[in-house]
Amino acid sequence: MKGLRKSFGDRTVLNGVDFEVRAGELVVLLGANGSGKSTALRCVVGLAEADAGEITVHSGRAAMVFQQIHLVRRRNVIDNVCAGGLAGLPLSRSLTPALFPRDLREKAMACLDRVGLADRARDRAGSLSGGQQQRVAVARALCQGAEVLLADEPVSALDPAAATQVMELLVELAHRDGLAVAAVLHQPDLARRHADRVIGLLHGEIRLTTAAAELSDVDIDALYAPDRVPA
Amino acid sequence: MTTRKYLTAAVVIAVLGVAHVFAWGTTEVSPAALVDGWRGMARFLAEALPPDLDWDTVVQPGLEGCLTTLAIGLLGTTLSIPAALLFAVMGTRGRNRIVYQLSRSVMSFLRAVPDVVFALVFVTAVGLGPFAGVLALICHNVGVMGKLWSEAMDEIDPGPADALRVSGAREAQVVANAVLPAVVPALVGLLLYRFDVNVRSSLVLGLVGAGGVGFLINQSIQLFQFDQMATYILMVLVLIVAVDLLSAAVRRRLG
Repeated sequence: MKGLRKSFGDRTVLNGVDFEVRAGELVVLLGANGSGKSTALRCVVGLAEADAGEITVHSGRAAMVFQQIHLVRRRNVIDNVCAGGLAGLPLSRSLTPALFPRDLREKAMACLDRVGLADRARDRAGSLSGGQQQRVAVARALCQGAEVLLADEPVSALDPAAATQVMELLVELAHRDGLAVAAVLHQPDLARRHADRVIGLLHGEIRLTTAAAELSDVDIDALYAPDRVPA
Repeated sequence: MTTRKYLTAAVVIAVLGVAHVFAWGTTEVSPAALVDGWRGMARFLAEALPPDLDWDTVVQPGLEGCLTTLAIGLLGTTLSIPAALLFAVMGTRGRNRIVYQLSRSVMSFLRAVPDVVFALVFVTAVGLGPFAGVLALICHNVGVMGKLWSEAMDEIDPGPADALRVSGAREAQVVANAVLPAVVPALVGLLLYRFDVNVRSSLVLGLVGAGGVGFLINQSIQLFQFDQMATYILMVLVLIVAVDLLSAAVRRRLG
């Protein structure tokens, strides 16, 4: 991502943001509300259009998971995971889950197994806990076959135990499966515990880039309460 | 500032007061007439009880009337589905402004004209009978159900659809796998609710000559057969409660 700029009306949300996420790496974006972190991810997948700048995803399309999870709650888990692979299907096989081809179902089952929920495949998505639903959403993203996974506040709506589980899953996907994972987080502690690298955004600009282990409290204050920190 | 607030409140109260005095006079509200008339009501009730339960002259025609009423409500609801769906889809936000305004105005008009008025119009066209009732319900219901449906479509969470778009799914795939699963239960629930309302409306339509048990009630009142009327009203009560319970049960299962 190079020189990304984005404004809504006269409010500049991204003001020349450059960063890179390599395969096998979990990068966390931190920053106060309105610092532009989510917008940056949304530009990558096309939910927002950048005014200027360049985005390159080396392996085709990026997959994304959301804070609000966005599963179809009335459908069962496996059908939700299959929906991640719709792009590769002809229309005639994709209009209802009964028509999904067998190999897509098998691939979806493997993705579901990857997130540890193969035994819940037949349950209604809405009947799962928040943490489980977010893991199903990750499985759906995997079923898309992308090598870049973006996560927009994936654990903000989850309790600490579920949040840790989802973060550990993201770490595994980066380290063991070699995906490039970028996650927007609101909890600096989670970033410290799980991320490889941390990028801090302030007012639409990158304020810091550091290894997660070296993230200090002063750095965090600089992102969330810049008024209190002497420049 | 506070003085102005008090002044506004005083004006509002005064206007409301005048409006109520005017309305009281226009509608000839008279508690004295109600008190004087208690004898008439008592006689009415005394004649209505016990209900006339003669099978051949009352109960059997009553049951047939209830079936007709139910049939009018059913057809009035199902036959309005295609037009209601069309106007609902055209009336969702994000459409072409002209299409949106046009369909919203058609639906508003159909909603604004009461079904009884439609019934009176259709009675002159196709004659007295249940068919006029069906036509009247269709017209009114397209307006109401179309509006309810388009609001339901406006309200669904765009999130799941966005999630599929991000994965590269085409628009038809997004509609089939994210929009429809989210919206169909709501549409069916509203359809059942309208069926429930339409069965009740078809009773009133019977009063203006569109057949069914409503027609029988009207007839028995005009012939001063209040004990027959009581039987019909009891039947209506059972019919309405049954339809209400049925549609509520189905809607609960959908929810």
